[in-house]
Amino acid sequence: MKRLKIVLLLSILSCFSLSMSAQTIVPIQEVETEQSALTIVEETSISEVQESEVPESLNLIESLKKLWEDTGFFKLNWLFVIMITVACVLLYLAIVKQYEPLLLLPIAFGMLLSNMPGAGMFNAELFAEGQIHWDIFIDKAGLLDYIYLGVKLGVYPCLIFVGVGAMTDFGPLIASPKSMMLGAAAQIGIFATYLAAIGLGFLPNEAGSIGIIGGADGPTAIYLTTKLAPDLLGPIAIAAYSYMALVPIIQPPIMRFLTTKDERLIEMKQLRMVSKTEKILFPIIVTIITALALPSATALIGSLMLGNLMKESGVVDRLTKTVQNELMNIVTVFLGISVGATATATNFLTIKTLQILCIGIIAFGVSSASGVLLAKFMNLFLKDKINPLIGSAGVSAVPMAARVSQSVGQESNPHNYLLMHAMAPNVAGVIGSAVAAGVLLSFLGG
Amino acid sequence: MNLLSIWGDALIVCAVGIGIVLTVLLLLVFILNGFSAIVTNKIGFPKKSNKKIFATDEDFQKVHLSTCDSAAIATALYLLYQNDSEDNHQTITIKKIERRYSPWSSKIYGINNLVR
Repeated sequence: MKRLKIVLLLSILSCFSLSMSAQTIVPIQEVETEQSALTIVEETSISEVQESEVPESLNLIESLKKLWEDTGFFKLNWLFVIMITVACVLLYLAIVKQYEPLLLLPIAFGMLLSNMPGAGMFNAELFAEGQIHWDIFIDKAGLLDYIYLGVKLGVYPCLIFVGVGAMTDFGPLIASPKSMMLGAAAQIGIFATYLAAIGLGFLPNEAGSIGIIGGADGPTAIYLTTKLAPDLLGPIAIAAYSYMALVPIIQPPIMRFLTTKDERLIEMKQLRMVSKTEKILFPIIVTIITALALPSATALIGSLMLGNLMKESGVVDRLTKTVQNELMNIVTVFLGISVGATATATNFLTIKTLQILCIGIIAFGVSSASGVLLAKFMNLFLKDKINPLIGSAGVSAVPMAARVSQSVGQESNPHNYLLMHAMAPNVAGVIGSAVAAGVLLSFLGG
Repeated sequence: MNLLSIWGDALIVCAVGIGIVLTVLLLLVFILNGFSAIVTNKIGFPKKSNKKIFATDEDFQKVHLSTCDSAAIATALYLLYQNDSEDNHQTITIKKIERRYSPWSSKIYGINNLVR
């Protein structure tokens, strides 16, 4: 039985290979006939007709040569090798070290794909000079170019914000509105970094995009950068997400340095209960106020609050679950891949990338420090003191920054539970960074 | 001159930017504070039947649990559920699995049900 199967399989394979070879031979004969006919008409010489048949053996060599020239190995140069190595390192960090794997993995893989020589997955020239060149888009666009359109048109960050809103509880912020100021203070880092970037010779629009790294808000950074400096999207997104993953390493030394032991021991009162009415009205009020005060921030704030209203209203459970899970996950995949795709060798392997990475970490540090310092300043006037450690949560790396406040607080006082208190400035930071992005967009957007 | 104008613009952007961010969020703080005050009846609209639930913060703290109490209760509940799950792991449960007929599993169906 087994032999019969093998014989049948071999006969099918041989028939298949014969048919394939027949298909490949026929067109060559046709071409040869056409070529010979043309030469007869033009030259009417038999010897030349024979000469025209000579390249038959050369064609194979040329074809092989062309095939070799089409391979990525032929086009590979040291720039591609470096970029592929960087992509592999990021994949290692995402998979083994689990640094923000949900975003770092697709970003790294997008980077890997766009740096495959000759694959044509991403063509930066289609988005040159900050515009989409529709006239050549259909002819030249690769897969990642189509996916990147969502970033370029500012769709993905807003959709991510809908999901973030649907997963965020603004209850602690509503219960303690003064925490909003800590979220505002943490945005000082954005503007300080903007000045530092100007000092390093970046153009104002590029400096604005670099400054937003201090907000520690990935979607906001991507949204603003696509509007202001799309060429820097790759380095800025990677810096923003890398530093967000490194919050537990970057923040604690700053927090310990800026606070005394007594300040870290401060226990805060339990937050009051927040009614459902307040939670429903909050997103509506915030949208109205911010959209009226700063229309350029409406896309981000509006998306965030839409998601939150869906969650808090409780009348659209199906939609809420969709934006929290399916929509969020799908957009995360697209956003990650397309952001990674922008990190091509020509864009990424520049001195600017190193500068961005250096300024980014300063931005993060200044933002964290600003929140802590404002909390200390507020304590001068407040009757119920606040623990300054929650100030660092004003950067909007939700909920990582709040967890860091909690863990550093418990190092000094194991009975101190700061998590919910820290969540208030943490979510305020999301609003604050979106407002800051709106300000930069309206000033520098041209 | 150009450098000066760039720095001048940058400083203006910073000053105005920080100002706007602080103003917008401060505005929200005031609105939320006022709103919270109304909702928690601190300044409340006069109602005949409704008395103030919490006259002072001390009253509020008396009724509500302290942070330590909440944490203790949460820990107890966590341990309880953790123990429950451990018990579950120790229990051997046999689920009855019924395979329905489908053309994709007809062979298995035939072997399981038709061969006697």
